[in-house]
Amino acid sequence: MPASKSPVIETRGLRKVFRDFWRRPTVEAVKGLDLTINDGEVFGLLGPNGSGKSTTIKMLLGLLRPTAGTIRVLGSAPDDTHAKACIGYLPEVSHLHTFLTPRETLMYYASLFGLSRAQAVQRTRELLAMVDLEHAADRAVGGFSKGMARRVGLAQALVNAPRLLILDEPTSGLDPIGSREVKDLVCALAKGGVTVLMTSHLLADVEDVCDRVAILDRGVLCAEGKIADLLRQPDAVRFEVEGLDEPDAAAVRAELEARTGRRVRQEYPAMSLERYFLQVVARDGQQRTFAMAPFLGATLSAPETDPTPTSNSLPMT
Amino acid sequence: MFPHDGQSRARGLALKQTAAIARATLVEAIQQPVAFLILLSAVMTTLLVPVFQFHRFGEDGRLARDSGLACMLVFGLVLAAGTAGRTVSGEITCGTAAAALGKPVRRVTFLLAKALGVLAVTMLFWLGVLCATLLAERGSAHFISHIEYTGYVMDVITLVLGVAGVAVALLVAAARHYYGRRRFGVSAFVGVVLSQVLVVLATGFYNRLGQLYPLLGEAACLDSGAGHAHAAGWVFYHPELNLRVIPVALLVLFALAIFAALATALATRLPTGPTLAICAGVLLLGLAGDSLLIGAPFWSVRGLVAGLLPDLQNFWLCDAVARGGRIAWRYVGAAALYALTCCVLFLGAGCLAFRERDLG
Repeated sequence: MPASKSPVIETRGLRKVFRDFWRRPTVEAVKGLDLTINDGEVFGLLGPNGSGKSTTIKMLLGLLRPTAGTIRVLGSAPDDTHAKACIGYLPEVSHLHTFLTPRETLMYYASLFGLSRAQAVQRTRELLAMVDLEHAADRAVGGFSKGMARRVGLAQALVNAPRLLILDEPTSGLDPIGSREVKDLVCALAKGGVTVLMTSHLLADVEDVCDRVAILDRGVLCAEGKIADLLRQPDAVRFEVEGLDEPDAAAVRAELEARTGRRVRQEYPAMSLERYFLQVVARDGQQRTFAMAPFLGATLSAPETDPTPTSNSLPMT
Repeated sequence: MFPHDGQSRARGLALKQTAAIARATLVEAIQQPVAFLILLSAVMTTLLVPVFQFHRFGEDGRLARDSGLACMLVFGLVLAAGTAGRTVSGEITCGTAAAALGKPVRRVTFLLAKALGVLAVTMLFWLGVLCATLLAERGSAHFISHIEYTGYVMDVITLVLGVAGVAVALLVAAARHYYGRRRFGVSAFVGVVLSQVLVVLATGFYNRLGQLYPLLGEAACLDSGAGHAHAAGWVFYHPELNLRVIPVALLVLFALAIFAALATALATRLPTGPTLAICAGVLLLGLAGDSLLIGAPFWSVRGLVAGLLPDLQNFWLCDAVARGGRIAWRYVGAAALYALTCCVLFLGAGCLAFRERDLG
């Protein structure tokens, strides 16, 4: 479908120079970034610390002013409130009002999107159930652990049933179960048509969920493309056979070496540590994840109010 | 669809956002222990001034009143500037401002909502200290002439009720926190203000000698010698309060509103410390505005400073109510317009400064 390939985020020649109190340049965080993220994609922005990932995201949201270049988000300028009504944003650190409870926090953010009280109450209840914080819904978030605060942050990013979800280090501070749940959530949202832009230091997380990635280093775009294309080793082939005993394996290896004249490496693949951990420890977590899935589908398919993603009208009044 | 539908929806959304942000600002501000300590200090200082007066020149009430209004101005200035600094500059630093502005909230809406929140905190504080000032003036020694007693008498009951009100408010806040898990700071702040309002209302039921009006009627009315009118006929309710203080206190509130706007504007670019320092400087120079202008040419540094800064002498008219004097409501209206103009100018400058501010 041509419509599904329209760019949701587009930057051209994007630059950001930070300045000190006297307007002297201190650091150039982003250097001429050209980026295109299409509708329905899960896009990963990777890079080491100080590479300009968070700066780029803040420019996309209009929180930082670019020094040069252009940005279009959902076809509008980044500080356009109509476009922002369709965006969900999870900051790198869950910046929350410490005196508010999770329920009050979500009600507060729902009111910023113009949801009516009844809609906000229902949406808050659903999101608290989704992030598994119903038991702590009326405790001040100031006393929460980092992982719990992250869950509140994630819930507030979804309060408007966004069309574009921007997640800055979404799994930071979460345990493996929480991390798995976030990745499942991203996949579920992507299936529902939500475009996701995420950054992470945990490359395995990105590999699990992203369609395409871009790698930034010191503000410069170093690589961009589909994960499969970037990681493919064109001069190597791997076979996996289940239930092959040692003599047969040795015979196959010998046959291959004889035919190709190259050295063949034989391995016994192991499951990932994350998968093993979830099997051993996370039975409750897995159940919670599965219980969450149908609920997520319902949330995505029937949001409280129509966010009118194709037009940039105010959605939630 | 009508073409103006989108505009009216946008306006409705902006109003809703303003209300939400202002409410969150108010709750956050009065939740802070420092805000409660400022209120408590102002109220207690005001209530205790009549008790610790060692020299009397027949103007105990005036001294209590002036002290209360001075507390209102100085503590109110610290509260308004501190709250603005924390809520704007602090939120920019800690990232909650960015979290809100990542939503469909305009920067102008955000800043104006913050200013409204700061103003709401200041008004709550003002109400509490105004009531304490009324109580302190009534409680201070007055000359009365009565069938049972003639001479100077302090209304100890009123002062004790005022202080007890504070204590009860603290106990109630602690109980609400313990049993209902309600926020102590919010309960205590609102409770102290409410207690002072209730005590002010209760003073109408008894005279300075502690005699109840419903029992003794007109016979309980005292001549305080301070210009209070006698109630005629059967008396059920006769608060012997100097209500002429209210216009003077309103003028102080207008001055505090100017400082709230100024501090909000400054906090878009400066941390809380410099914001407080600049506000204190504006207070001093603003009070000296008249002196600066005397003999100064129009185009001079002194003239420029006096012209640019709000003339705070317009809002400090304690002496006007001495010896039975009154402030005309027309003057209060004109002062309100002047204060509004200053607020609009300061907040306009603040919006310009905030528009290009990086929120990282």
